[in-house]
Amino acid sequence: MKKKSLSIAAIMFLLVFGLALNGSAEQGVTDTEIHIGQWSPQTGPAAPWGAVARGTDAYFKMINAEGGIHGRKIIHHYFDDGYNPAKTVAGVKQLQEDVGMFGWVSGVGTACGLAVKDYLMGRKIPWVGPSSGSSHWVDPPQKYLFNDYPLYSGDAQILVKVAAEKLGLKRIAITYQNDDYGKLGLAGARKQAAKEGLSLVAEIPMNVADTDMAPFVMELKKANADSVLMFIGVGQVARLIGTGKAMKFDPRWMTTTTCADAPLMIAITKGLFAGTIVANFGLFEPQVVGIGNTEDVNNPSHPVVKKYYEDAFKKFAAKEERWGLTFVAGMAYAEPMLEGLKRAGRDLTREKFVAAMETIKDFKGSMGRVSYGSFDPNDPHCRVGQTEIFASEVTADGKYKVLMDWTEMPYVKID
Amino acid sequence: MDMKRDYYEDIQLFSSGVVIFWFVAMMVFLAVVPFIFKNYYIYVINFMAINVIVVLGLNLLVGYTGLISLGHAGFFAIGAYGTVVLITQAHLPFLLALLVAGLIAAIFGFLLGLPALRLEGPYLAIATLGFGVTVTQVIGKIKILGERQGLHAPDLIIGPWHFDTDKDFYFLLIPIAIILAFAARNITKTKVGRAFISIRDAEIAAETMGVNLTFYKTLAFALSAFYAGIGGGLYAFVLRFIEPELFSLSLSIMFLTMAVVGGLGSMMGPIAGACLLSWLDLQLRNILDIPYLGEWLRSLSQSYFSLTGVSNIQYIVFGGILLFIMLFEPLGIFGIWIRTKKYWKTWPF
Repeated sequence: MKKKSLSIAAIMFLLVFGLALNGSAEQGVTDTEIHIGQWSPQTGPAAPWGAVARGTDAYFKMINAEGGIHGRKIIHHYFDDGYNPAKTVAGVKQLQEDVGMFGWVSGVGTACGLAVKDYLMGRKIPWVGPSSGSSHWVDPPQKYLFNDYPLYSGDAQILVKVAAEKLGLKRIAITYQNDDYGKLGLAGARKQAAKEGLSLVAEIPMNVADTDMAPFVMELKKANADSVLMFIGVGQVARLIGTGKAMKFDPRWMTTTTCADAPLMIAITKGLFAGTIVANFGLFEPQVVGIGNTEDVNNPSHPVVKKYYEDAFKKFAAKEERWGLTFVAGMAYAEPMLEGLKRAGRDLTREKFVAAMETIKDFKGSMGRVSYGSFDPNDPHCRVGQTEIFASEVTADGKYKVLMDWTEMPYVKID
Repeated sequence: MDMKRDYYEDIQLFSSGVVIFWFVAMMVFLAVVPFIFKNYYIYVINFMAINVIVVLGLNLLVGYTGLISLGHAGFFAIGAYGTVVLITQAHLPFLLALLVAGLIAAIFGFLLGLPALRLEGPYLAIATLGFGVTVTQVIGKIKILGERQGLHAPDLIIGPWHFDTDKDFYFLLIPIAIILAFAARNITKTKVGRAFISIRDAEIAAETMGVNLTFYKTLAFALSAFYAGIGGGLYAFVLRFIEPELFSLSLSIMFLTMAVVGGLGSMMGPIAGACLLSWLDLQLRNILDIPYLGEWLRSLSQSYFSLTGVSNIQYIVFGGILLFIMLFEPLGIFGIWIRTKKYWKTWPF
């Protein structure tokens, strides 16, 4: 009897002690691991954006290979939601409740992110770097949500600035997708045009499903635009430039970071994308390349991106993976989270992580400088993150010629 | 075996004591589900319940009346947007807003039913498809509906209750789904249901017998759209955010697939079809976590089906399951159930 009691006591002790050794106060954190979740479309029409999650995955593997964070490895769980918010919710809830995530990184798609935003924020689960430039992430700001994707108002501002100040163009028009993406661009373009003493000569909304570009080209021609900002989808950009060429309308085309993958765009437009001005938030370093010089994405000059190419892409990406803007963006969006984890220290909790994130000021990874501030429910800037953009011109061989260095472009609210 | 001897036997709700037993067992199970399963599974069941509601309505149209619709995502969208806007703009209470949004969808269903009087088969499919696509385009242009930027669903409050968690929604959704399932079953057993069936089986004969085709065809569309509208209104609150892209053609096709795979022209079939396909849609990616089989499927996918080394096997398995069901049991899951029942009733012969 005594022997039995002793055995039970020993088992109880081991269980409790074992749990104490293994466990941690915070969900998703053990002695040796930090669990981070992510969703992205790996299949379906938005599958090209799936490279974001694969980029993040390679990035975390690189970090783990270098020893991890404060002795812990990052266990990255990413799942395919097919760009369907119902599946995003299902996957997020399953990973959060079955496995237990410390936090979430990136996550492609505005609708997908909005479907889980309340769930994550209601449970005080940190989420860093949603990969869509929507004002929903920062306006109103959320304590546990840190944006780092450059909001599209900044893209529009630098493009108008380049058009007006560098190229001397005065008749600037904009075609914009009739959603958050396009409307942020429109707000930024209007603001910068007013600063330059100009007004946009045409503001043409477009639906995602629009495929016939001829009516839009007619409107742009009628407005006699000498430059056109395109805040539309990749396919529409290709079609608009192609239709413009066919209709003998040849303005200076300009587009956003979303459509800035030069080799890809040159390939799908059969070279017509050459000469287009694009807004950039990473991939190469304009300060190193220098204004007027060109940059090859396959031989990046940015020291951080060069390291990613060698240590993450070459070692951990699948052999069929393409080194491009979307893949690198997946690494870039995770950088501030990693910095926050480093600053939070070994004794990691979500509250300490948030406090550490709020100390990030002018953090420089592969994107523009990233800064956060103490949480203020009335000030979106405390969670905007990155506001720096630079601009370049795409060359015929799919390279970038730098036109304007990193420029601070503050967040502009949609009218 | 299931032969009915008189009219009253045909219309009774429960055909035998066995059916009552299983119904009670099902109710007990549904009552304890939220206390057994994790929150995540409750979300999956809520999602199933919404699809069950829509597919029950679609079954009244396709299974009982013999008309086709590839535009049900449009009615679903009208219900979703209608409910949210009626609460946020007209300040109606949730249940009233849901009902009104369902009725608005029904009016659109009635309107869409008018061309159905002259069209059938693939021509009707194309007309309804056009409706579904048009709805999302129009919503994307209307400011009060959030245009392309979408709408947030407000907090769901009914009287003193604040529905916030998946468990809360469960206790709202399941009773609504059960009520609508009973309503659908009763409709099929009334004069209206018999008129639907007669139109499906022999339209000219039905008209000769005095069935008003104009009335019953448009009614079938209106009823079916009402169910879709109610489903949409609930969906907006389970998802918390809606935008036009959610209500795509592929969603309409998914609803129709659920009805066909379940078994058209029955009650249990569409319920089973909606549950199975909803579950597969959300859960099939977990197939990769099954020991050994998961690893094998992953390497199979990465070797032959995926360019980027990321597995997409769940979609291949999903398609394979649909093909398998349709190939071996054209009557769908309901057909499998009928055969199983017959086998046990006649066993050992």
